[in-house]
Amino acid sequence: MARARIQSPFGLGFRAMAPLWLGVIPFGLAYAVTAREVGLSVLETQALSALVFAGSAQVSAAGLFGAGAGGLEIVLTTLLLNVRHVLYGVSLARRTPLTRRQRPVAAYFLTDEAFGVVTAANDRRFAFLLGAELSLFVTWNLATFGGALLGAAIPDPEQIGVDLIFPLAFLALLVPLVRTRADLSVAAASGALAYLLSRELPGGLPILVTGMVGSLLGAWLTRRQPPDTSFHADDAAREVA
Amino acid sequence: MTFWLVVVGMLAVTFGSRYGGLALRAELPAFWVRFLHFVPIAVFAALVTPALEGPRHEWGIRLAAAGLAALAAWRTKQLWVAIAVGMVAFWLLRLPL
Repeated sequence: MARARIQSPFGLGFRAMAPLWLGVIPFGLAYAVTAREVGLSVLETQALSALVFAGSAQVSAAGLFGAGAGGLEIVLTTLLLNVRHVLYGVSLARRTPLTRRQRPVAAYFLTDEAFGVVTAANDRRFAFLLGAELSLFVTWNLATFGGALLGAAIPDPEQIGVDLIFPLAFLALLVPLVRTRADLSVAAASGALAYLLSRELPGGLPILVTGMVGSLLGAWLTRRQPPDTSFHADDAAREVA
Repeated sequence: MTFWLVVVGMLAVTFGSRYGGLALRAELPAFWVRFLHFVPIAVFAALVTPALEGPRHEWGIRLAAAGLAALAAWRTKQLWVAIAVGMVAFWLLRLPL
Protein backbone atom coordinates (compact mmCIF):
# COMPACT_ATOMS: atom_id res chain seq x y z
CA MET A 1 0.00 0.00 0.00
CA ALA A 2 2.84 2.35 0.82
CA ARG A 3 4.30 1.33 -2.49
CA ALA A 4 1.10 2.14 -4.34
CA ARG A 5 1.05 5.58 -2.76
CA ILE A 6 4.65 6.28 -3.72
CA GLN A 7 3.91 5.27 -7.31
CA SER A 8 0.94 7.61 -7.59
CA PRO A 9 1.60 10.63 -9.81
CA PHE A 10 1.05 12.91 -6.83
CA GLY A 11 3.65 11.01 -4.77
CA LEU A 12 6.09 11.02 -7.69
CA GLY A 13 5.73 14.76 -8.09
CA PHE A 14 6.06 15.29 -4.36
CA ARG A 15 9.29 13.28 -4.26
CA ALA A 16 10.69 14.87 -7.44
CA MET A 17 10.84 18.14 -5.52
CA ALA A 18 12.60 16.64 -2.48
CA PRO A 19 16.16 17.51 -3.60
CA LEU A 20 15.19 21.17 -3.34
CA TRP A 21 13.92 21.01 0.24
CA LEU A 22 17.41 21.46 1.64
CA GLY A 23 17.69 24.73 -0.26
CA VAL A 24 14.22 25.97 0.63
CA ILE A 25 14.22 25.30 4.37
CA PRO A 26 17.04 27.72 5.28
CA PHE A 27 15.37 30.43 3.21
CA GLY A 28 12.00 29.90 4.78
CA LEU A 29 13.70 30.19 8.16
CA ALA A 30 15.64 33.29 7.09
CA TYR A 31 12.53 34.94 5.66
CA ALA A 32 10.58 34.33 8.86
CA VAL A 33 13.37 35.70 11.05
CA THR A 34 13.55 38.84 8.89
CA ALA A 35 9.80 39.29 9.00
CA ARG A 36 9.70 38.91 12.78
CA GLU A 37 12.60 41.35 13.18
CA VAL A 38 10.77 44.11 11.31
CA GLY A 39 7.81 43.63 13.60
CA LEU A 40 5.39 41.30 11.85
CA SER A 41 3.52 38.90 14.13
CA VAL A 42 3.80 35.13 13.82
CA LEU A 43 0.38 35.09 12.16
CA GLU A 44 1.31 37.81 9.67
CA THR A 45 4.63 36.14 8.86
CA GLN A 46 2.83 32.85 8.23
CA ALA A 47 0.03 34.49 6.26
CA LEU A 48 2.48 35.81 3.67
CA SER A 49 3.88 32.31 3.16
CA ALA A 50 0.44 30.70 2.93
CA LEU A 51 -1.32 33.37 0.84
CA VAL A 52 1.40 34.91 -1.31
CA PHE A 53 3.86 31.97 -1.36
CA ALA A 54 6.64 33.75 -3.23
CA GLY A 55 10.01 33.85 -1.47
CA SER A 56 11.70 36.84 -3.02
CA ALA A 57 8.52 38.94 -2.89
CA GLN A 58 7.98 38.03 0.78
CA VAL A 59 11.52 38.99 1.77
CA SER A 60 11.21 42.27 -0.13
CA ALA A 61 7.83 42.96 1.45
CA ALA A 62 9.22 42.33 4.92
CA GLY A 63 12.04 44.77 4.20
CA LEU A 64 9.59 47.36 2.86
CA PHE A 65 7.24 46.96 5.84
CA GLY A 66 10.25 47.51 8.08
CA ALA A 67 11.22 50.65 6.16
CA GLY A 68 7.68 51.99 6.51
CA ALA A 69 6.96 51.85 2.78
CA GLY A 70 3.46 52.46 1.42
CA GLY A 71 1.11 49.60 0.56
CA LEU A 72 1.01 50.45 -3.13
CA GLU A 73 4.79 50.38 -3.28
CA ILE A 74 4.84 46.90 -1.74
CA VAL A 75 2.16 45.56 -4.09
CA LEU A 76 3.89 46.99 -7.18
CA THR A 77 7.23 45.51 -6.10
CA THR A 78 5.48 42.16 -5.70
CA LEU A 79 4.03 42.43 -9.20
CA LEU A 80 7.44 43.30 -10.62
CA LEU A 81 9.04 40.33 -8.88
CA ASN A 82 6.31 37.83 -9.81
CA VAL A 83 5.11 38.72 -13.29
CA ARG A 84 7.62 36.20 -14.70
CA HIS A 85 5.11 33.50 -13.72
CA VAL A 86 3.10 34.45 -16.82
CA LEU A 87 5.88 32.90 -18.90
CA TYR A 88 5.89 29.74 -16.78
CA GLY A 89 2.14 29.40 -17.11
CA VAL A 90 2.14 29.71 -20.89
CA SER A 91 4.96 27.18 -21.18
CA LEU A 92 3.40 24.78 -18.67
CA ALA A 93 -0.09 24.92 -20.17
CA ARG A 94 1.24 23.44 -23.41
CA ARG A 95 2.85 20.56 -21.55
CA THR A 96 0.31 19.64 -18.91
CA PRO A 97 -3.33 19.62 -20.00
CA LEU A 98 -5.47 21.23 -17.29
CA THR A 99 -9.21 21.44 -16.88
CA ARG A 100 -10.89 24.67 -15.98
CA ARG A 101 -11.14 23.62 -12.34
CA GLN A 102 -7.54 22.47 -12.11
CA ARG A 103 -6.13 25.70 -13.53
CA PRO A 104 -6.61 28.00 -10.50
CA VAL A 105 -5.26 25.30 -8.17
CA ALA A 106 -2.18 24.77 -10.34
CA ALA A 107 -1.77 28.55 -10.56
CA TYR A 108 -1.99 29.21 -6.82
CA PHE A 109 0.96 26.94 -6.00
CA LEU A 110 3.11 27.68 -9.08
CA THR A 111 6.78 28.48 -8.39
CA ASP A 112 10.13 28.63 -10.18
CA GLU A 113 10.97 25.27 -8.67
CA ALA A 114 7.72 23.54 -9.68
CA PHE A 115 8.05 24.87 -13.21
CA GLY A 116 11.62 23.56 -13.29
CA VAL A 117 10.92 20.09 -11.93
CA VAL A 118 7.78 19.52 -14.01
CA THR A 119 9.43 20.76 -17.21
CA ALA A 120 12.37 18.43 -16.65
CA ALA A 121 10.23 15.39 -15.81
CA ASN A 122 8.49 13.51 -18.57
CA ASP A 123 5.16 13.51 -16.77
CA ARG A 124 2.20 15.49 -18.03
CA ARG A 125 -0.33 14.62 -15.35
CA PHE A 126 -1.99 17.27 -13.22
CA ALA A 127 -1.44 15.18 -10.08
CA PHE A 128 2.32 15.14 -10.72
CA LEU A 129 2.33 18.94 -11.07
CA LEU A 130 0.24 19.33 -7.92
CA GLY A 131 2.47 16.94 -5.98
CA ALA A 132 5.59 18.91 -6.92
CA GLU A 133 3.89 22.21 -6.13
CA LEU A 134 2.55 21.14 -2.72
CA SER A 135 5.86 19.55 -1.84
CA LEU A 136 7.40 23.02 -1.94
CA PHE A 137 4.39 24.75 -0.37
CA VAL A 138 4.39 22.49 2.68
CA THR A 139 8.14 22.75 3.14
CA TRP A 140 8.14 26.53 2.75
CA ASN A 141 5.33 26.98 5.24
CA LEU A 142 6.80 24.61 7.82
CA ALA A 143 10.14 26.42 7.53
CA THR A 144 8.35 29.75 7.91
CA PHE A 145 6.61 28.52 11.04
CA GLY A 146 9.88 27.21 12.50
CA GLY A 147 11.67 30.47 11.77
CA ALA A 148 8.86 32.59 13.19
CA LEU A 149 9.02 30.66 16.46
CA LEU A 150 12.77 30.17 16.78
CA GLY A 151 13.78 33.69 15.83
CA ALA A 152 17.32 34.89 15.53
CA ALA A 153 19.00 31.69 16.76
CA ILE A 154 19.06 30.51 13.14
CA PRO A 155 22.26 30.60 11.08
CA ASP A 156 22.39 32.74 7.95
CA PRO A 157 21.95 30.51 4.85
CA GLU A 158 24.74 32.40 3.10
CA GLN A 159 27.12 31.62 5.94
CA ILE A 160 26.70 27.87 5.55
CA GLY A 161 26.54 28.17 1.77
CA VAL A 162 23.16 26.52 1.17
CA ASP A 163 22.17 29.49 -0.99
CA LEU A 164 24.22 27.66 -3.64
CA ILE A 165 21.64 24.84 -3.84
CA PHE A 166 19.20 27.00 -5.80
CA PRO A 167 21.51 27.81 -8.76
CA LEU A 168 22.88 24.25 -8.70
CA ALA A 169 19.37 22.83 -8.99
CA PHE A 170 18.47 25.00 -11.97
CA LEU A 171 21.80 24.24 -13.61
CA ALA A 172 21.05 20.52 -13.21
CA LEU A 173 17.59 21.06 -14.73
CA LEU A 174 19.06 23.11 -17.58
CA VAL A 175 21.85 20.76 -18.69
CA PRO A 176 19.66 17.96 -20.16
CA LEU A 177 17.49 20.51 -22.01
CA VAL A 178 20.45 21.74 -24.04
CA ARG A 179 20.49 19.46 -27.08
CA THR A 180 21.18 21.64 -30.12
CA ARG A 181 23.51 24.48 -31.00
CA ALA A 182 20.58 26.91 -30.79
CA ASP A 183 19.78 25.64 -27.28
CA LEU A 184 23.39 26.19 -26.23
CA SER A 185 23.48 29.70 -27.73
CA VAL A 186 20.27 30.64 -25.91
CA ALA A 187 21.52 29.20 -22.60
CA ALA A 188 24.85 31.02 -22.80
CA ALA A 189 23.36 34.34 -23.93
CA SER A 190 20.62 34.14 -21.29
CA GLY A 191 23.07 33.37 -18.50
CA ALA A 192 25.22 36.34 -19.44
CA LEU A 193 22.28 38.71 -19.89
CA ALA A 194 20.68 37.77 -16.56
CA TYR A 195 23.99 38.22 -14.77
CA LEU A 196 24.39 41.74 -16.17
CA LEU A 197 20.75 42.69 -15.51
CA SER A 198 20.83 41.38 -11.94
CA ARG A 199 23.36 44.06 -11.05
CA GLU A 200 20.90 46.79 -11.98
CA LEU A 201 17.41 45.38 -11.40
CA PRO A 202 15.59 43.78 -8.45
CA GLY A 203 15.08 39.98 -8.09
CA GLY A 204 12.47 38.69 -10.49
CA LEU A 205 12.78 41.27 -13.23
CA PRO A 206 16.04 40.01 -14.82
CA ILE A 207 14.43 36.57 -15.09
CA LEU A 208 11.40 37.95 -16.91
CA VAL A 209 13.43 40.10 -19.29
CA THR A 210 15.94 37.32 -19.96
CA GLY A 211 13.15 34.78 -20.46
CA MET A 212 11.63 37.00 -23.14
CA VAL A 213 14.87 38.03 -24.87
CA GLY A 214 16.46 34.57 -24.71
CA SER A 215 13.35 32.86 -26.12
CA LEU A 216 13.03 35.44 -28.89
CA LEU A 217 16.66 34.79 -29.77
CA GLY A 218 15.98 31.06 -29.91
CA ALA A 219 12.87 31.43 -32.06
CA TRP A 220 14.85 33.66 -34.41
CA LEU A 221 17.85 31.30 -34.56
CA THR A 222 15.59 28.36 -35.50
CA ARG A 223 13.51 30.32 -38.06
CA ARG A 224 14.63 28.03 -40.94
CA GLN A 225 13.69 24.81 -39.17
CA PRO A 226 10.54 22.92 -40.10
CA PRO A 227 7.83 23.93 -37.63
CA ASP A 228 7.16 20.79 -35.61
CA THR A 229 10.26 18.64 -35.16
CA SER A 230 12.17 20.59 -32.51
CA PHE A 231 9.34 20.50 -30.05
CA HIS A 232 8.57 16.78 -30.19
CA ALA A 233 12.10 15.44 -30.28
CA ASP A 234 12.82 17.24 -27.12
CA ASP A 235 9.69 16.45 -25.23
CA ALA A 236 10.57 12.79 -25.58
CA ALA A 237 13.98 13.43 -24.15
CA ARG A 238 12.91 15.06 -20.90
CA GLU A 239 13.74 12.61 -18.23
CA VAL A 240 15.44 14.29 -15.30
CA ALA A 241 14.12 14.73 -11.79
CA MET B 1 -5.59 46.45 9.07
CA THR B 2 -3.36 48.04 6.43
CA PHE B 3 -1.21 44.91 6.57
CA TRP B 4 -4.04 42.67 5.47
CA LEU B 5 -5.01 45.04 2.69
CA VAL B 6 -1.45 44.88 1.38
CA VAL B 7 -1.53 41.07 1.60
CA VAL B 8 -4.70 41.00 -0.49
CA GLY B 9 -2.96 43.20 -3.07
CA MET B 10 0.13 40.97 -3.08
CA LEU B 11 -2.04 37.88 -3.42
CA ALA B 12 -3.97 39.45 -6.30
CA VAL B 13 -0.93 40.41 -8.41
CA THR B 14 0.88 37.14 -7.66
CA PHE B 15 -2.08 34.88 -8.37
CA GLY B 16 -2.93 37.01 -11.42
CA SER B 17 0.55 36.43 -12.86
CA ARG B 18 0.40 32.71 -12.12
CA TYR B 19 -3.10 32.24 -13.52
CA GLY B 20 -2.75 34.54 -16.53
CA GLY B 21 -0.22 32.37 -18.32
CA LEU B 22 -1.94 29.07 -17.54
CA ALA B 23 -5.32 30.35 -18.71
CA LEU B 24 -4.01 31.63 -22.04
CA ARG B 25 -5.21 29.02 -24.48
CA ALA B 26 -4.75 30.03 -28.06
CA GLU B 27 -3.41 28.26 -31.12
CA LEU B 28 -0.03 29.83 -31.54
CA PRO B 29 1.82 30.68 -34.76
CA ALA B 30 4.95 28.59 -35.40
CA PHE B 31 7.26 31.40 -34.28
CA TRP B 32 5.71 31.44 -30.79
CA VAL B 33 5.72 27.66 -30.52
CA ARG B 34 9.48 27.79 -31.08
CA PHE B 35 9.66 30.72 -28.64
CA LEU B 36 8.06 28.56 -25.93
CA HIS B 37 10.55 25.77 -26.54
CA PHE B 38 13.29 28.16 -25.41
CA VAL B 39 11.47 29.57 -22.36
CA PRO B 40 12.74 26.96 -19.86
CA ILE B 41 16.26 27.13 -21.29
CA ALA B 42 16.43 30.92 -21.04
CA VAL B 43 14.71 31.05 -17.64
CA PHE B 44 16.80 28.31 -16.01
CA ALA B 45 20.01 29.96 -17.25
CA ALA B 46 18.72 33.26 -15.82
CA LEU B 47 18.07 31.61 -12.46
CA VAL B 48 21.62 30.21 -12.34
CA THR B 49 24.10 33.00 -13.11
CA PRO B 50 22.96 35.81 -10.77
CA ALA B 51 22.70 33.42 -7.81
CA LEU B 52 25.97 31.66 -8.55
CA GLU B 53 28.25 34.53 -7.61
CA GLY B 54 27.45 34.47 -3.92
CA PRO B 55 28.08 37.01 -1.22
CA ARG B 56 31.53 36.36 0.12
CA HIS B 57 34.08 36.48 -2.73
CA GLU B 58 33.79 32.74 -3.15
CA TRP B 59 32.90 32.84 -6.84
CA GLY B 60 35.93 30.74 -7.79
CA ILE B 61 34.96 27.71 -5.75
CA ARG B 62 31.26 28.23 -6.41
CA LEU B 63 32.01 28.15 -10.14
CA ALA B 64 34.09 25.00 -9.71
CA ALA B 65 31.30 23.35 -7.71
CA ALA B 66 28.78 24.35 -10.39
CA GLY B 67 31.00 22.85 -13.10
CA LEU B 68 31.12 19.52 -11.27
CA ALA B 69 27.37 19.62 -10.64
CA ALA B 70 26.74 20.27 -14.35
CA LEU B 71 28.93 17.29 -15.21
CA ALA B 72 27.03 15.13 -12.73
CA ALA B 73 23.69 16.31 -14.16
CA TRP B 74 24.84 15.49 -17.65
CA ARG B 75 26.05 12.01 -16.69
CA THR B 76 23.31 10.90 -14.29
CA LYS B 77 20.30 13.15 -15.16
CA GLN B 78 19.47 12.98 -11.44
CA LEU B 79 18.70 16.26 -9.73
CA TRP B 80 19.73 15.16 -6.26
CA VAL B 81 23.03 13.67 -7.46
CA ALA B 82 23.97 16.94 -9.16
CA ILE B 83 23.10 18.99 -6.07
CA ALA B 84 24.96 16.60 -3.76
CA VAL B 85 28.09 16.61 -5.94
CA GLY B 86 28.05 20.41 -6.16
CA MET B 87 27.50 21.00 -2.46
CA VAL B 88 30.08 18.45 -1.29
CA ALA B 89 32.62 19.96 -3.70
CA PHE B 90 31.78 23.45 -2.44
CA TRP B 91 32.08 22.55 1.24
CA LEU B 92 35.36 20.70 0.67
CA LEU B 93 36.85 23.55 -1.39
CA ARG B 94 35.98 26.22 1.17
CA LEU B 95 37.62 24.37 4.08
CA PRO B 96 40.43 26.50 5.44
CA LEU B 97 43.66 24.64 4.73
